[in-house]
Formats: sequence, C-alpha cells, structure tokens
Amino acid sequence: MTRRAFLSREAVLLYVLLAMFAGFSVFVEGFLDWFSLFERMRYWAIPGLIAVPMTFIIATAGIDLSVASIVAMSGILLGLLYRDAHFPIAAASIAAVAVGLCAGAFNGGVSSFLGIPPLVVTLATMALFRGVAMGLSKGQPISDFPEGFLWLSQGDALRVPVGNAGLVTIPVPLFALAAAVAVGWVLMRRSWVGRFTECVGENPIAAEFAAIDVRRLKFALYAASGLVCGVAALFNTALYATAKADTAAGMELEVIACVVVGGTRISGGQGSVVGSLLGLFIIGILRYGLEMAGVKSQYVIIVVGGLLIATTVFNEWMARRRGVKG
Amino acid sequence: MKHALLPIAVGLVVLMGTSCGKTPEAKPADQTRDARREARTAGRDAAKTAGETKQGPLTIGVMPKLIGIDFFNATEKGAKLAGQELGVEVVFDGPVTNDVQLQAQMLETWIARKYDGIAIAPNDPDAIAPVLEKARKRGIKVISWDADSKPSSRDFFVNQCTSRSVAKTLMDVMAEGVGLNAKYLILTGSLTAANQNIWMAEMEKYRQEKYPGMTNLSETPKASEEDQALATQVTTDCLKTYADLQGMFAITSVALPGAAEGLRKAGAAARVFLTGLSTPKTMREYVHDGTVKRFVLWNPVDLGYLAVYAAVATAKGELQPGAASFTAGHVGACRVEGDMIILGDPIIFDKSNIDNFDF
Repeated sequence: MTRRAFLSREAVLLYVLLAMFAGFSVFVEGFLDWFSLFERMRYWAIPGLIAVPMTFIIATAGIDLSVASIVAMSGILLGLLYRDAHFPIAAASIAAVAVGLCAGAFNGGVSSFLGIPPLVVTLATMALFRGVAMGLSKGQPISDFPEGFLWLSQGDALRVPVGNAGLVTIPVPLFALAAAVAVGWVLMRRSWVGRFTECVGENPIAAEFAAIDVRRLKFALYAASGLVCGVAALFNTALYATAKADTAAGMELEVIACVVVGGTRISGGQGSVVGSLLGLFIIGILRYGLEMAGVKSQYVIIVVGGLLIATTVFNEWMARRRGVKG
Repeated sequence: MKHALLPIAVGLVVLMGTSCGKTPEAKPADQTRDARREARTAGRDAAKTAGETKQGPLTIGVMPKLIGIDFFNATEKGAKLAGQELGVEVVFDGPVTNDVQLQAQMLETWIARKYDGIAIAPNDPDAIAPVLEKARKRGIKVISWDADSKPSSRDFFVNQCTSRSVAKTLMDVMAEGVGLNAKYLILTGSLTAANQNIWMAEMEKYRQEKYPGMTNLSETPKASEEDQALATQVTTDCLKTYADLQGMFAITSVALPGAAEGLRKAGAAARVFLTGLSTPKTMREYVHDGTVKRFVLWNPVDLGYLAVYAAVATAKGELQPGAASFTAGHVGACRVEGDMIILGDPIIFDKSNIDNFDF
C-alpha cells in the first residue's frame, strides 16, 4: 500500500519536479530566487485555474477547446461594462463570470443534449467566442481599470518565511489557484462527482446502466469550465491591466498540456487534479529554468515539446503496466 | 512496444537520480548567492544611483515584437553591433508570435536575471506597462523602441521617425513621381492599425498645406489586412474601378509588395505611380523591373543600434530627460524631444541605392 503511494503517478511527477528544481538550482545561476519565482508563478495561476475543470472534462474523454476564447470574451465584457456602461467594477466582474458560465453551459448543452462531439462543438465556439470578443471591442484594447481591481493579480498577501531568503510575499492569484485545486481534489477523490466522472470516461454505456445521468453530468462539467474561465478572465485582465480580444491566445493548448503531463489520460477514465497542478509547475519551471539559463525562445519550445512527448509515453507505459498487473 | 518504452523510463529515473545526488553540493553555491543577494539588496535600498556597484560589462535585453521576420532580424544586427562597440552584452530575444503576454512573461525572467537595461518593442502599450513598471522599480532602465509603451512605464522612447516626416516624405515622393495634381489612393493594413492611421492623418494635413491640387480618390483607405495576396487583389480591383487613378500609396511592408504584384500583372506601372513603406529585401525585384520607382522606410539596423545605445546611456546615467540631442556611434546626433529620441528622417530607396541595403 505504501509502496504503491510512493510509486503513484503523482509521486513520480513530484520527483520529476523536485529533480528539475534541484538541477536548475545547482546549474543555473540566479534560478533559486524565491522573489522572482513567485513573480513568475503569478502568470501560472490563470492556466492553472482552468486546468482544474479541464481535468474533469478530459477524464470523461471530452475536451474544451474554447476556454481561452471564453477568457477573452468575459474579459472584454468586463471592460465594456466598466468603461462604457459605467458599472461598478464588482458588478462588472460578476457579469463577466456569468457570461463565462453561460458560454460553458452553451458548450455543455450543445454537446451533451444534441449529442455533438465536444471536440467539434468547442472548436466552433472557440472561433465564435473569440469573434464575439473581437466584434464587441472592435479589436481595440480596454484599459484604465481601478487599482483595487488590479490587486487581484498584481497584489501580494501574506509574508511567509521561505528557506533562508527571509520573508517573501505570496502573489494573490496563487491563493485562488490553491483554493481551486483543493475544491477540485475533494470533488475528484472524495465525492461521487469524481467517481462518476471517471466512470463515464471509462465506459459511458456502463455508466448509463449504472443509473448515472451522463448527459447532465457532462453538461454540468462544461458549464463549470465556463464559470472558472470567467473567474480566470478577471485575473487575466487584472494581470495585464488590459482587456484585449486576442488575449490568452493559445492558452487552451497550454492548459491541456498541463493536464496531460499531469497523468490524466486523454482517452478518459482517469483524472488527477493534483497531477494537473504538478504538470503546470513542471512545464512552468522548465520554461523558467531554461530562460534563466539564457536559452533562446525557439529552443525552449523544442524542449517543452520534447517533455510533452516523454511524459505521455511514460504515462501510457505506467497505465499499461498497471493494466497488466490488474 | 512495452520493451521499447522501458529504456526511456530507465533514462528518466537515472536522470532524476543524478540530479538529486547533486543537491548537497548546492550548499556552498547557495551561500555565495545569498551573500551576493544581500549585497544587492543593500545596494538597491541604500542608493538607487546610476551605475551601481556593478562589476563586469552591462547586460542589455532587447526584445522585438516577435522574432523571425526580416524587419526584426535587421534590428537584431544593429543591436548586436552596438553591443560590440560599447562592450556590453546584448541579449536579443522575443516571442515567436506577436503576443504581448509572452513578452511580459519573458520580461519577468529578464528582471530576475537582473539585466541592467531593457529595450522593448511592445505589442501593446498598456498590457506591457505593469511588468515594465515592475522592472523600473527594481532599478532597471527601460527603453521602448519601434512602438511606444505607456509613458510612465519607460525612461525613453526611441522613435524611428516622427509621423510627420513619414507623411511628408511619402507625399513628396508622390509629387515628384506624378506631379502637383496627382489623383491617388491609399492602401493600408487593417482599418484600425494605429501607426497607419496616424500617418494617413498627417498625410492629409500635409496635402492641404503643400499640395492642395492633389486629390485622394477615396476618403476611406483600402484595407489589405497585412495579407499580401489580398493587397494584390485589391490593387487589381482599384485599377479597374478608378479610371483616372494616377498614384497609389501602400503603407505597410506587406501591402507594398502585394500592390506591386497587382500592378505588374496588370501591366499598369506606366499609368499608375506606386510608392509606400516596405523593406528593400522584399521590394528589390519590383524596383529592378521598374514596377516601383521609389519607396520609403527607415533603417531598421540603425533603429536596433540606436535602441541599444540609448539603453546603455540611460543605464549608465549619461542620458537624462531634458537632453536636446543624443549621439549614438555611426548614426550620429539624434534629436531628443522630451522623452522621445528620434532616429531621423526616413530613407528613400530607388534603383541606385537599393542594393546597398541588406534588410
């Protein structure tokens, strides 16, 4: 039992992360600077938040390609309501999150109740939501948000002693990320939601026979994904102090990469929220470490791509071995 | 299959093992690093004077809007040359797409690497501002070049040339090519492109002052959306629609070669005088076959060169706001207006000089 815990996929990912961290700390000068590391982690909270619902969706053998477009659309709406309709920033934020929820519910509704594969639906809405964002904003960025709102992403809270670096302040968005992962972990491992989700991914027909309402579950997951994207849009807008229609370009792939590196199988049936978080940190640390080492951005992409291949091969191998062992 | 995967897993484990084994050795390095950090923090807090207690050459990070296109490759050449001349290390890197968010994340790393100066061509003036302000708070000098960022987020803006001089040069070229009563059209990028819109407004102003006899045949410019094939098509259409068309401006580096192609296909180079803004590399064949006689651009090599000179001078405290001019190596004296350094007037390219430029 304990032996299994030490060799679980999450544990292996943790070893990889620690090994990378140790390696970069030794070989790359200036890497081990907690202040800068936390500054960089600020940026990871946004894809990290979205990775939580994405883990559930991929565990049902689905996918949501529209997440980045929802972030853009919600962000633009936030900006327009605040600047042009003179909403108070809190009301505009709530409206932006609500728009995210509606967009997610649309994805979920079309894919589960009309029976269209989520890949097709979200591929379409990826373009649709991005187009709405472009159209509403006419391609122009919106800025001049109030200071208090920017605190959401640019602020720091809680000074903590880290190692021998003295007191380090933690960026605010990391608290949101921690909360999302905690909720995700409870839902995945300690509630029926996770069990049903993995069951649907493993074998939807069997799940149906087990009296699981597959369509409602999937609908709820896509809606939740939209909701989280709406929240992520607030952090994204605050981080750059700007709402732009072409924001978060390509973030859907970044999120999916974290989830896949985290050991959630793209063919469904198995999901790990903690794994996705580790995936986020592994990719993030790798990028940061290579950049700190002065590697040019073209080559950084190559290494990150290589890591993706290596981990998927490794995950597949782990899954097979486990399958053989029964 | 399973056997094929085994070595990879073993390799991973071995790799992990070796890296872990080295952790204890980290200690001495850590200590020196801590000592250095303390010294640095102390220095930062005590006196934020320019040219601190810094040993070794300065490091200047130069970031284009994106890497891998002709224009910014040319600016890299200039930036590197300036680095050699000044004896500073120049790191030239940027995102592979024109994405301001990737720029911001790379800048975080540059701040962490404690570069002495950053020169950036931002993809968005507002979205890049928070991270640049962070850099300035940490004592890093910031220069924007090619495009500006929010004024509060940088020390100086290195501008290729004023919009006024771009507009003036374009209109003068048209006047020489067609005459004082030219009837012309303008082909732009997208209708919302900020730089182009300013230039067109300046062109209209200059036309009213200097060339009242000229006529713009279409108040709304023709859009080519930075798409060369579309520029060709729009040009072909315009040649048919506007029977009295005498001149055409194509004012993006993509629109001009596209328009030239349209003109060449239609065999209309004798009837319509085409000019605009683009790089000599892309325009060489059209200039040599006579489709385009003269066109305009600033020198991107000199732009990168000037950006690095300005960054170094600002980092050393030699260049302060309020200076009237700034001398940068072979580029010579450049005009300074407030916190804007101006490279100079645009260059006019024609058959006689186009082969001298390699960008």
